[in-house]
Amino acid sequence: MTISKKIVLIGHFGVGKTSLIRRFVENTFTEDYKVTIGVHISKKTIEIPENESVSLIIWDLEGQDDIKKTRPSYLLGTNGFIYVFDLSRPATFENLESELSFLKENYPKVPTKVVGNKMDLVNKVYLSQHNDVFNTNVDYFVSAKTGSRVESLFAKLARELI
Amino acid sequence: MNQDEKLSIIKDILLTDEREFTSSIEKKIKILESLINEKRQLSTKVDPIIDDKLKEFIKEIPNTLGPTITKALKKEIANSQDAVVEALFPIIGKMIKRYVQHEMKLLSERVNNQVNKTFSFKGIFRKAKSKASGVNESDLIIQEQTNAKIEQLIIIEKGSGLVLAEFSKNKMADEDMVAGMLTAIKSFVEDAFKKENQNLQYIEYDHYHIHLQNFSSFYMAVVISGAYNVIFKDKLEDEILEFTSKQKVATLLKNKKLLTKKLEDFLKNDNI
Repeated sequence: MTISKKIVLIGHFGVGKTSLIRRFVENTFTEDYKVTIGVHISKKTIEIPENESVSLIIWDLEGQDDIKKTRPSYLLGTNGFIYVFDLSRPATFENLESELSFLKENYPKVPTKVVGNKMDLVNKVYLSQHNDVFNTNVDYFVSAKTGSRVESLFAKLARELI
Repeated sequence: MNQDEKLSIIKDILLTDEREFTSSIEKKIKILESLINEKRQLSTKVDPIIDDKLKEFIKEIPNTLGPTITKALKKEIANSQDAVVEALFPIIGKMIKRYVQHEMKLLSERVNNQVNKTFSFKGIFRKAKSKASGVNESDLIIQEQTNAKIEQLIIIEKGSGLVLAEFSKNKMADEDMVAGMLTAIKSFVEDAFKKENQNLQYIEYDHYHIHLQNFSSFYMAVVISGAYNVIFKDKLEDEILEFTSKQKVATLLKNKKLLTKKLEDFLKNDNI
Protein backbone atom coordinates (compact mmCIF):
# COMPACT_ATOMS: atom_id res chain seq x y z
CA MET A 1 0.00 0.00 0.00
CA THR A 2 1.22 3.50 -0.90
CA ILE A 3 0.42 6.51 1.19
CA SER A 4 1.04 10.10 0.14
CA LYS A 5 2.66 12.71 2.35
CA LYS A 6 3.29 16.39 1.74
CA ILE A 7 6.81 17.58 2.54
CA VAL A 8 7.66 21.28 2.41
CA LEU A 9 11.20 22.65 2.10
CA ILE A 10 11.75 26.13 3.50
CA GLY A 11 14.73 28.38 4.12
CA HIS A 12 16.60 31.40 2.80
CA PHE A 13 17.43 32.09 -0.85
CA GLY A 14 20.23 30.04 -2.34
CA VAL A 15 20.65 27.57 0.52
CA GLY A 16 20.19 24.64 -1.86
CA LYS A 17 16.58 23.53 -1.33
CA THR A 18 16.06 22.81 -5.03
CA SER A 19 19.45 21.10 -5.29
CA LEU A 20 18.59 18.85 -2.34
CA ILE A 21 15.33 17.82 -3.99
CA ARG A 22 17.02 17.29 -7.33
CA ARG A 23 19.67 15.13 -5.69
CA PHE A 24 17.01 13.08 -3.90
CA VAL A 25 14.53 12.73 -6.79
CA GLU A 26 16.81 12.62 -9.84
CA ASN A 27 20.22 11.97 -8.28
CA THR A 28 21.69 14.90 -10.20
CA PHE A 29 23.45 18.15 -9.27
CA THR A 30 24.28 21.32 -11.15
CA GLU A 31 26.26 24.41 -10.13
CA ASP A 32 23.90 26.62 -12.18
CA TYR A 33 21.74 28.57 -9.79
CA LYS A 34 18.20 29.29 -10.90
CA VAL A 35 16.04 30.99 -8.33
CA THR A 36 12.75 29.23 -7.56
CA ILE A 37 9.72 31.41 -8.16
CA GLY A 38 6.52 30.50 -6.34
CA VAL A 39 6.58 26.78 -5.82
CA HIS A 40 7.83 23.71 -7.62
CA ILE A 41 6.45 20.27 -6.91
CA SER A 42 8.27 16.95 -7.22
CA LYS A 43 7.40 13.42 -6.28
CA LYS A 44 9.32 10.36 -5.21
CA THR A 45 8.05 7.10 -3.83
CA ILE A 46 10.28 5.32 -1.38
CA GLU A 47 10.00 1.83 -0.04
CA ILE A 48 10.18 1.41 3.67
CA PRO A 49 10.39 -1.76 5.74
CA GLU A 50 7.17 -3.60 6.60
CA ASN A 51 6.37 -3.67 2.84
CA GLU A 52 4.87 -0.22 2.69
CA SER A 53 5.74 2.66 0.41
CA VAL A 54 5.44 6.37 0.92
CA SER A 55 4.86 8.76 -1.93
CA LEU A 56 6.54 11.99 -0.96
CA ILE A 57 4.97 15.02 -2.64
CA ILE A 58 7.74 17.57 -2.16
CA TRP A 59 6.92 21.28 -2.24
CA ASP A 60 9.96 23.41 -3.00
CA LEU A 61 9.05 26.92 -1.91
CA GLU A 62 10.83 30.05 -3.07
CA GLY A 63 13.45 31.26 -0.59
CA GLN A 64 12.50 33.76 2.10
CA ASP A 65 14.84 35.50 4.54
CA ASP A 66 11.98 35.44 7.06
CA ILE A 67 9.71 32.42 7.44
CA LYS A 68 6.77 34.71 8.29
CA LYS A 69 6.85 35.98 4.70
CA THR A 70 6.06 32.50 3.37
CA ARG A 71 2.56 32.25 1.91
CA PRO A 72 0.61 30.41 4.66
CA SER A 73 -1.67 28.63 2.18
CA TYR A 74 1.39 26.78 0.80
CA LEU A 75 2.01 25.34 4.26
CA LEU A 76 -1.53 24.05 4.84
CA GLY A 77 -1.81 20.30 5.29
CA THR A 78 1.95 19.80 5.47
CA ASN A 79 2.99 16.43 6.90
CA GLY A 80 6.66 17.28 7.36
CA PHE A 81 8.95 20.30 7.13
CA ILE A 82 12.57 20.38 6.07
CA TYR A 83 14.19 23.64 7.14
CA VAL A 84 17.34 24.14 5.06
CA PHE A 85 20.20 26.56 5.71
CA ASP A 86 23.61 27.08 4.15
CA LEU A 87 26.42 25.96 6.48
CA SER A 88 28.85 28.31 4.75
CA ARG A 89 26.66 31.44 5.08
CA PRO A 90 25.96 32.46 8.71
CA ALA A 91 23.23 34.87 7.54
CA THR A 92 21.10 31.87 6.67
CA PHE A 93 21.23 30.40 10.18
CA GLU A 94 21.61 33.40 12.49
CA ASN A 95 17.82 33.53 13.09
CA LEU A 96 17.44 29.76 13.18
CA GLU A 97 15.96 29.61 16.68
CA SER A 98 13.23 32.17 16.01
CA GLU A 99 12.41 30.54 12.68
CA LEU A 100 12.06 27.14 14.34
CA SER A 101 9.93 28.53 17.17
CA PHE A 102 7.58 30.00 14.54
CA LEU A 103 7.16 26.52 13.07
CA LYS A 104 6.68 24.96 16.50
CA GLU A 105 4.04 27.51 17.46
CA ASN A 106 2.05 27.35 14.24
CA TYR A 107 2.53 23.71 13.27
CA PRO A 108 3.12 21.94 16.60
CA LYS A 109 2.24 18.46 15.36
CA VAL A 110 4.28 18.56 12.17
CA PRO A 111 7.75 16.96 12.37
CA THR A 112 10.57 19.24 11.26
CA LYS A 113 14.07 18.33 10.18
CA VAL A 114 16.69 21.06 10.37
CA VAL A 115 19.31 20.60 7.70
CA GLY A 116 22.66 22.28 7.16
CA ASN A 117 23.49 22.00 3.47
CA LYS A 118 26.80 22.49 1.59
CA MET A 119 28.76 20.34 4.00
CA ASP A 120 31.40 19.99 1.26
CA LEU A 121 32.28 23.69 1.65
CA VAL A 122 33.15 23.71 5.37
CA ASN A 123 35.69 22.00 7.60
CA LYS A 124 35.72 20.71 11.19
CA VAL A 125 37.29 23.88 12.57
CA TYR A 126 34.51 26.00 11.06
CA LEU A 127 31.84 23.64 12.41
CA SER A 128 33.29 23.82 15.91
CA GLN A 129 33.28 27.64 15.73
CA HIS A 130 29.48 27.54 15.32
CA ASN A 131 29.03 24.65 17.69
CA ASP A 132 26.47 26.48 19.83
CA VAL A 133 24.00 26.74 16.93
CA PHE A 134 24.73 23.47 15.19
CA ASN A 135 24.83 21.22 18.23
CA THR A 136 21.45 22.17 19.59
CA ASN A 137 19.30 22.70 16.53
CA VAL A 138 20.63 20.78 13.55
CA ASP A 139 19.43 17.26 12.69
CA TYR A 140 21.40 16.66 9.51
CA PHE A 141 24.55 17.96 7.85
CA VAL A 142 24.21 17.18 4.17
CA SER A 143 25.68 18.00 0.80
CA ALA A 144 23.46 18.14 -2.26
CA LYS A 145 26.65 18.31 -4.34
CA THR A 146 28.16 15.05 -3.11
CA GLY A 147 24.83 13.48 -2.12
CA SER A 148 26.08 12.87 1.39
CA ARG A 149 23.23 11.94 3.79
CA VAL A 150 20.50 13.28 1.47
CA GLU A 151 18.81 9.92 0.99
CA SER A 152 18.88 9.12 4.71
CA LEU A 153 17.36 12.52 5.56
CA PHE A 154 14.26 11.90 3.44
CA ALA A 155 14.04 8.24 4.44
CA LYS A 156 14.13 9.13 8.14
CA LEU A 157 11.43 11.77 7.73
CA ALA A 158 9.26 9.40 5.68
CA ARG A 159 9.47 6.75 8.43
CA GLU A 160 8.45 9.32 11.04
CA LEU A 161 5.37 10.24 9.02
CA ILE A 162 3.80 6.79 9.00
CA MET B 1 103.48 4.18 -72.15
CA ASN B 2 103.98 5.08 -68.56
CA GLN B 3 102.50 3.48 -65.52
CA ASP B 4 99.47 5.85 -65.23
CA GLU B 5 98.36 5.37 -68.80
CA LYS B 6 98.47 1.61 -68.39
CA LEU B 7 96.34 1.84 -65.27
CA SER B 8 93.78 3.99 -67.07
CA ILE B 9 93.43 1.46 -69.89
CA ILE B 10 92.94 -1.37 -67.41
CA LYS B 11 90.23 0.72 -65.59
CA ASP B 12 88.39 1.35 -68.85
CA ILE B 13 88.36 -2.35 -69.63
CA LEU B 14 87.27 -3.43 -66.12
CA LEU B 15 84.56 -0.73 -65.46
CA THR B 16 82.70 -0.73 -68.80
CA ASP B 17 79.64 -2.64 -67.39
CA GLU B 18 79.35 -0.42 -64.29
CA ARG B 19 79.44 2.73 -66.44
CA GLU B 20 76.59 1.45 -68.59
CA PHE B 21 74.57 0.57 -65.46
CA THR B 22 75.14 4.05 -63.99
CA SER B 23 74.00 5.78 -67.16
CA SER B 24 70.79 3.67 -67.27
CA ILE B 25 70.00 4.65 -63.64
CA GLU B 26 70.57 8.33 -64.46
CA LYS B 27 68.06 8.05 -67.32
CA LYS B 28 65.47 6.44 -65.04
CA ILE B 29 65.96 9.17 -62.40
CA LYS B 30 65.43 11.87 -65.04
CA ILE B 31 62.17 10.20 -66.15
CA LEU B 32 60.96 10.00 -62.51
CA GLU B 33 61.91 13.65 -61.92
CA SER B 34 59.89 14.78 -64.88
CA LEU B 35 56.95 12.60 -63.75
CA ILE B 36 56.92 14.11 -60.26
CA ASN B 37 57.62 17.70 -61.25
CA GLU B 38 55.13 17.88 -64.08
CA LYS B 39 51.63 18.09 -62.59
CA ARG B 40 49.80 16.80 -65.60
CA GLN B 41 51.98 13.73 -65.86
CA LEU B 42 51.67 13.02 -62.11
CA SER B 43 47.90 13.47 -62.09
CA THR B 44 47.42 10.84 -64.81
CA LYS B 45 49.09 8.34 -62.48
CA VAL B 46 47.75 9.49 -59.07
CA ASP B 47 44.19 10.65 -59.87
CA PRO B 48 42.71 7.17 -60.44
CA ILE B 49 44.09 6.02 -57.08
CA ILE B 50 42.67 9.06 -55.23
CA ASP B 51 39.31 8.66 -56.98
CA ASP B 52 39.08 5.04 -55.89
CA LYS B 53 39.96 5.94 -52.31
CA LEU B 54 37.43 8.79 -52.25
CA LYS B 55 34.66 6.56 -53.55
CA GLU B 56 35.49 4.04 -50.85
CA PHE B 57 35.56 6.80 -48.18
CA ILE B 58 32.15 8.21 -49.23
CA LYS B 59 30.68 4.73 -49.18
CA GLU B 60 32.00 4.16 -45.65
CA ILE B 61 30.92 7.57 -44.17
CA PRO B 62 27.67 6.27 -42.58
CA ASN B 63 29.62 3.57 -40.76
CA THR B 64 32.76 5.48 -39.82
CA LEU B 65 31.63 9.09 -39.19
CA GLY B 66 27.86 8.57 -38.75
CA PRO B 67 27.83 7.74 -35.02
CA THR B 68 30.34 10.52 -34.22
CA ILE B 69 28.34 13.14 -36.14
CA THR B 70 25.04 12.02 -34.55
CA LYS B 71 26.59 12.14 -31.08
CA ALA B 72 28.04 15.61 -31.71
CA LEU B 73 24.73 16.90 -33.08
CA LYS B 74 22.76 15.51 -30.13
CA LYS B 75 25.18 17.15 -27.70
CA GLU B 76 25.03 20.46 -29.55
CA ILE B 77 21.21 20.44 -29.63
CA ALA B 78 21.04 19.58 -25.92
CA ASN B 79 23.48 22.38 -25.05
CA SER B 80 21.75 25.05 -27.11
CA GLN B 81 18.07 24.26 -26.92
CA ASP B 82 17.09 27.92 -27.00
CA ALA B 83 18.98 28.42 -30.25
CA VAL B 84 17.31 25.35 -31.75
CA VAL B 85 13.88 26.63 -30.70
CA GLU B 86 14.71 30.04 -32.20
CA ALA B 87 15.72 28.38 -35.45
CA LEU B 88 12.73 26.02 -35.62
CA PHE B 89 10.09 28.44 -34.38
CA PRO B 90 9.34 30.10 -37.75
CA ILE B 91 9.16 26.73 -39.55
CA ILE B 92 6.98 25.02 -36.93
CA GLY B 93 4.88 28.18 -36.60
CA LYS B 94 4.13 28.09 -40.33
CA MET B 95 3.24 24.38 -40.16
CA ILE B 96 0.87 24.95 -37.24
CA LYS B 97 -0.68 27.97 -38.94
CA ARG B 98 -1.31 25.93 -42.07
CA TYR B 99 -2.80 23.08 -40.02
CA VAL B 100 -5.07 25.43 -38.05
CA GLN B 101 -6.19 27.12 -41.29
CA HIS B 102 -7.04 23.71 -42.73
CA GLU B 103 -8.98 22.67 -39.61
CA MET B 104 -10.83 26.01 -39.50
CA LYS B 105 -11.81 25.55 -43.15
CA LEU B 106 -13.21 22.10 -42.38
CA LEU B 107 -15.06 23.42 -39.33
CA SER B 108 -16.45 26.32 -41.35
CA GLU B 109 -17.72 23.89 -44.01
CA ARG B 110 -19.37 21.74 -41.35
CA VAL B 111 -20.99 24.80 -39.74
CA ASN B 112 -22.23 25.96 -43.15
CA ASN B 113 -23.78 22.55 -43.74
CA GLN B 114 -25.52 22.76 -40.36
CA VAL B 115 -26.78 26.28 -41.08
CA ASN B 116 -28.10 25.17 -44.46
CA LYS B 117 -30.25 22.65 -42.64
CA THR B 118 -31.91 25.51 -40.74
CA PHE B 119 -35.37 24.33 -41.55
CA SER B 120 -34.77 20.75 -40.51
CA PHE B 121 -36.28 19.52 -37.23
CA LYS B 122 -32.81 19.55 -35.61
CA GLY B 123 -32.26 23.15 -36.71
CA ILE B 124 -35.57 24.31 -35.27
CA PHE B 125 -34.83 22.45 -32.03
CA ARG B 126 -31.39 24.12 -31.83
CA LYS B 127 -32.94 27.56 -32.34
CA ALA B 128 -35.38 26.93 -29.50
CA LYS B 129 -32.53 25.65 -27.30
CA SER B 130 -30.46 28.74 -28.08
CA LYS B 131 -33.34 31.05 -27.10
CA ALA B 132 -34.04 29.13 -23.91
CA SER B 133 -30.44 28.86 -22.72
CA GLY B 134 -29.21 32.22 -23.98
CA VAL B 135 -26.29 30.56 -25.77
CA ASN B 136 -25.57 31.79 -29.28
CA GLU B 137 -26.79 29.39 -31.99
CA SER B 138 -23.37 29.39 -33.65
CA ASP B 139 -21.85 28.32 -30.32
CA LEU B 140 -24.33 25.44 -30.24
CA ILE B 141 -23.38 24.38 -33.75
CA ILE B 142 -19.67 24.48 -32.94
CA GLN B 143 -20.37 22.57 -29.73
CA GLU B 144 -22.07 19.84 -31.73
CA GLN B 145 -18.87 19.54 -33.77
CA THR B 146 -16.48 19.40 -30.86
CA ASN B 147 -18.27 17.81 -27.95
CA ALA B 148 -16.58 18.05 -24.58
CA LYS B 149 -15.14 14.87 -23.14
CA ILE B 150 -14.06 14.19 -19.57
CA GLU B 151 -10.51 12.85 -19.58
CA GLN B 152 -9.64 12.70 -15.88
CA LEU B 153 -11.29 13.18 -12.50
CA ILE B 154 -9.29 13.95 -9.38
CA ILE B 155 -10.56 14.51 -5.86
CA ILE B 156 -8.01 16.64 -4.03
CA GLU B 157 -7.70 17.47 -0.35
CA LYS B 158 -7.85 21.23 0.21
CA GLY B 159 -4.70 22.77 1.65
CA SER B 160 -2.36 19.82 1.36
CA GLY B 161 -3.14 19.17 -2.30
CA LEU B 162 -2.92 15.42 -1.74
CA VAL B 163 -4.92 13.15 -4.03
CA LEU B 164 -7.84 11.46 -2.31
CA ALA B 165 -9.02 9.58 -5.41
CA GLU B 166 -8.42 9.66 -9.14
CA PHE B 167 -9.71 8.05 -12.29
CA SER B 168 -8.93 8.58 -15.95
CA LYS B 169 -9.85 6.69 -19.11
CA ASN B 170 -6.36 7.25 -20.50
CA LYS B 171 -3.55 8.15 -18.12
CA MET B 172 -3.10 11.86 -18.76
CA ALA B 173 -0.47 12.97 -16.25
CA ASP B 174 0.84 12.14 -12.80
CA GLU B 175 -2.17 12.93 -10.63
CA ASP B 176 -0.06 13.75 -7.55
CA MET B 177 1.96 16.37 -9.44
CA VAL B 178 -1.16 17.80 -11.12
CA ALA B 179 -3.02 17.95 -7.79
CA GLY B 180 -0.05 19.65 -6.10
CA MET B 181 0.38 22.24 -8.81
CA LEU B 182 -3.37 22.95 -9.03
CA THR B 183 -3.48 23.47 -5.27
CA ALA B 184 -0.46 25.78 -5.38
CA ILE B 185 -2.01 27.81 -8.22
CA LYS B 186 -5.36 27.92 -6.40
CA SER B 187 -3.67 29.05 -3.17
CA PHE B 188 -1.71 31.75 -4.98
CA VAL B 189 -4.69 33.13 -6.90
CA GLU B 190 -7.04 33.02 -3.91
CA ASP B 191 -4.42 34.71 -1.69
CA ALA B 192 -3.66 37.32 -4.32
CA PHE B 193 -7.29 38.43 -4.63
CA LYS B 194 -7.62 38.43 -0.83
CA LYS B 195 -11.39 37.99 -0.89
CA GLU B 196 -12.97 35.41 1.35
CA ASN B 197 -15.11 32.61 -0.03
CA GLN B 198 -13.82 33.08 -3.55
CA ASN B 199 -12.35 30.12 -5.35
CA LEU B 200 -10.48 29.49 -8.52
CA GLN B 201 -12.92 27.60 -10.71
CA TYR B 202 -11.28 27.11 -14.05
CA ILE B 203 -7.85 26.70 -15.63
CA GLU B 204 -7.09 26.28 -19.30
CA TYR B 205 -4.01 24.29 -20.24
CA ASP B 206 -3.01 23.57 -23.83
CA HIS B 207 -5.99 21.71 -25.39
CA TYR B 208 -7.48 20.92 -22.01
CA HIS B 209 -9.88 22.72 -19.71
CA ILE B 210 -9.62 22.04 -16.00
CA HIS B 211 -12.88 22.55 -14.18
CA LEU B 212 -12.49 23.00 -10.43
CA GLN B 213 -15.44 22.45 -8.12
CA ASN B 214 -14.95 23.34 -4.48
CA PHE B 215 -16.38 21.65 -1.40
CA SER B 216 -15.60 22.26 2.26
CA SER B 217 -12.60 19.99 2.78
CA PHE B 218 -11.83 18.93 -0.77
CA TYR B 219 -12.20 20.02 -4.35
CA MET B 220 -12.71 18.15 -7.57
CA ALA B 221 -10.62 18.75 -10.66
CA VAL B 222 -12.11 17.60 -13.96
CA VAL B 223 -9.83 17.57 -16.99
CA ILE B 224 -11.88 18.12 -20.15
CA SER B 225 -10.98 18.02 -23.84
CA GLY B 226 -13.14 19.56 -26.55
CA ALA B 227 -15.52 22.49 -26.21
CA TYR B 228 -16.11 23.61 -22.63
CA ASN B 229 -18.96 26.10 -22.59
CA VAL B 230 -21.61 27.45 -20.23
CA ILE B 231 -24.06 24.62 -20.92
CA PHE B 232 -21.48 21.93 -20.34
CA LYS B 233 -20.22 23.71 -17.22
CA ASP B 234 -23.72 23.95 -15.75
CA LYS B 235 -24.44 20.32 -16.47
CA LEU B 236 -21.08 19.21 -15.10
CA GLU B 237 -21.57 21.20 -11.90
CA ASP B 238 -25.02 19.66 -11.39
CA GLU B 239 -23.73 16.14 -12.03
CA ILE B 240 -20.80 16.58 -9.63
CA LEU B 241 -23.08 17.99 -6.93
CA GLU B 242 -25.44 15.08 -7.38
CA PHE B 243 -22.57 12.60 -7.38
CA THR B 244 -20.98 13.98 -4.20
CA SER B 245 -24.24 14.07 -2.26
CA LYS B 246 -25.63 10.77 -3.56
CA GLN B 247 -22.37 8.88 -3.02
CA LYS B 248 -21.65 10.67 0.28
CA VAL B 249 -18.17 11.53 -0.93
CA ALA B 250 -17.38 13.63 2.16
CA THR B 251 -17.64 10.50 4.33
CA LEU B 252 -15.46 8.42 2.01
CA LEU B 253 -12.45 10.71 1.85
CA LYS B 254 -10.27 8.29 3.82
CA ASN B 255 -11.27 5.33 1.66
CA LYS B 256 -9.24 5.90 -1.49
CA LYS B 257 -10.09 2.54 -3.04
CA LEU B 258 -13.86 2.90 -2.72
CA LEU B 259 -13.80 6.53 -3.79
CA THR B 260 -11.78 5.65 -6.88
CA LYS B 261 -14.34 2.96 -7.76
CA LYS B 262 -17.15 5.50 -7.43
CA LEU B 263 -15.30 7.90 -9.70
CA GLU B 264 -14.79 5.13 -12.24
CA ASP B 265 -18.54 4.38 -12.27
CA PHE B 266 -19.33 8.07 -12.59
CA LEU B 267 -17.01 8.48 -15.56
CA LYS B 268 -18.11 5.25 -17.24
CA ASN B 269 -21.77 6.23 -17.07
CA ASP B 270 -20.86 9.33 -19.06
CA ASN B 271 -23.87 11.26 -17.83
CA ILE B 272 -22.66 14.55 -19.17
